[in-house]
Amino acid sequence: MSELRRDPVMGRWNIIETEGPAGPEAFEVAEHTPSGGRCPFCAGNEGMTPPEIYAVRPPGGSPNGPGWRLRVVSNKFPALKIEGDLDRRGIGVFDFCNGVGAHEVIIETPDHQRQMSDLTLEECSSVITAFKVRSLDLRGDRRLRYTLIFKNFGLAAGASLEHSHSQLIALPIVPKRVQEELKGAERYFEFRERCPYCDMLHQELQDDERLVCENYSFVALCPFMSGFPFEVWVLPKEHRADFAQIGPEAVGDFARILKEVLQRVRGALSNPAYNFIIHTAPIETREREEYHWHLELIPKLTRIAGFEWGTGFYINPTSPERAAKALREAL
Amino acid sequence: MPELRKDPLIGRWVIIATERAKRPVDFVAFHDEPAPQADCPFCAGNEARTPKEILALRGPGPGTSPSGWQVRVIPSINPLLRIEGALNRRGKGMYDVMDGIGAHEVIVESPQHIANAADLPVEQVHAALQASMTRITDLERDPRFRYALWFKNYGSIAGAGRVEHARSQLIATPVTPLRVKEELVGTRRYYEDKERCLICDLLRQERESKVRVVIDSAHIIALCPFASRFPFELWLVPKRHNCDFARMQPEELGDLAAVLQQVLSRLKAVLDDPPYNALLHTAPFRRQRGKVGHWKTIEEDYHWHIELIPRLTRVAGFEWGSGFYINPTPPEEAAKYLREAGIEEPAAAEVKP
Repeated sequence: MSELRRDPVMGRWNIIETEGPAGPEAFEVAEHTPSGGRCPFCAGNEGMTPPEIYAVRPPGGSPNGPGWRLRVVSNKFPALKIEGDLDRRGIGVFDFCNGVGAHEVIIETPDHQRQMSDLTLEECSSVITAFKVRSLDLRGDRRLRYTLIFKNFGLAAGASLEHSHSQLIALPIVPKRVQEELKGAERYFEFRERCPYCDMLHQELQDDERLVCENYSFVALCPFMSGFPFEVWVLPKEHRADFAQIGPEAVGDFARILKEVLQRVRGALSNPAYNFIIHTAPIETREREEYHWHLELIPKLTRIAGFEWGTGFYINPTSPERAAKALREAL
Repeated sequence: MPELRKDPLIGRWVIIATERAKRPVDFVAFHDEPAPQADCPFCAGNEARTPKEILALRGPGPGTSPSGWQVRVIPSINPLLRIEGALNRRGKGMYDVMDGIGAHEVIVESPQHIANAADLPVEQVHAALQASMTRITDLERDPRFRYALWFKNYGSIAGAGRVEHARSQLIATPVTPLRVKEELVGTRRYYEDKERCLICDLLRQERESKVRVVIDSAHIIALCPFASRFPFELWLVPKRHNCDFARMQPEELGDLAAVLQQVLSRLKAVLDDPPYNALLHTAPFRRQRGKVGHWKTIEEDYHWHIELIPRLTRVAGFEWGSGFYINPTPPEEAAKYLREAGIEEPAAAEVKP
């Protein structure tokens, strides 16, 4: 028997297998093994990337030379270009504009052999700080409305390079999925005058069965209405709509919980490909009472078929209760 | 310069990479090792291996089985939803839950072990669509259901598993899916504003400009949508305004079968047999509710169509999570390749200097 569960923010229903849910062993995982080769993100190959925008470099090194610990560069094959005007226009029923925006790559380590879960806590914190610094900097550009921070790990998850990296795309529009989320949160707030994510945290901390781990500032859990097996969300305990406002202590706590979650996912599922995305408020001046930034992590375990395409509702063979248990026991 | 294009139906923006566009040869179609044909439960002779059939269309026709069937509809062997029981809607704190009730049926499109509907005779495609219409009409009578989704997965990447036998599926759900609702809301908003159907307007514009049209047949148009999320994405749209697929006229059904088969063959030729998904977008069940409330103008404002998506890029959780797509092949280019694939031979051999 399966259950239909509704996302309290998006209003989307997912089908979740609750009797005899599939455990970690049910999934065939193509294990990630770095092959090496000439990699533009490795130390010594700095000339192969566009010039760096930001770097963590102990004193002594010079920009675009070796000796760095983390680098942010423009994507060599950007989906959007930073120069030019938007020039919004329409032809009949169609609207379009120029592809203006930023597309940056955060190279998380000079070492080709290490993945994000292998990074030290300090290195992980530097990655989070880089996310924050770049988000704040791009905010100065009035053409941009949203900053999307995400990571594709492994070929199956869409990573074209195996060297550990994450990406940032700053957009002149607010993506549809984000708009829907904001609208859903507004609707929830209108009725109850509470943030839906704060409510979720309260209920999940009480229920306990979907929690993965927590620390002083963050909670990691498998959401009640998970559309994907082993989907994990990381939420700050303190209500905050905007990721870029994260304080210095919270950066450390976020790095710690993210590293732990990645290690647990790796342990429970033999190093699967995954994506994570930071869901945050658009670039704006007001502080939203109804929205709560968070990170969503999805291991790439199932294939998305016609049904999911057409309905936007997902079939999850692993109940989040089962997934959370496996992840709690993974370390 | 890359372009951001807005989907006029649901307002989703897509990045179309107009420079260094990917051509068909840049994509590699991938298929898993197929399961042995002897194990196929859908083949003629193996009828006993499936649950009891719900409907069968019988010959005469070029593809009829020894026992006389052309197309069979059976309950899914691994149903996602269960047909018996009540919905049992309830709350768990802030969350809403109901039991997984619904119908999950499989339309076996041929008695022969043929994987891709592109390789079926048009008569078979016609019979399969006919059976789908009949089943949707029947499922609408069940008051628990709000929507029937017809779809087709071809190739393991697209979710078809390893059994290589052409089939489509039908899932009736107790809720109108979010993705469908978005489209309904989008077209209704346009109608409120203009008192015209958005898709009729879109068709008029596309038929005039022709750059994204692949086939312009008597009743059905095949085109690559302006804000395509994926390379070589296609739409099949009826020329006659009609919100409900199950109320197609016989001549439209005949033309749809021919255009669908033709488009699938061209995709196969141009992209070297790619996996794909096909999806029907049609109006939700209304007979129970009548023309009230939300969908009061649906007969006027909505227009059914079929979406066809070759699975060429590794779209990952990122696109799913963010709803944000980057398409490396402009639809104008894709349409050109697909149009040219239909031209068998040049009329006269051109003499090149």
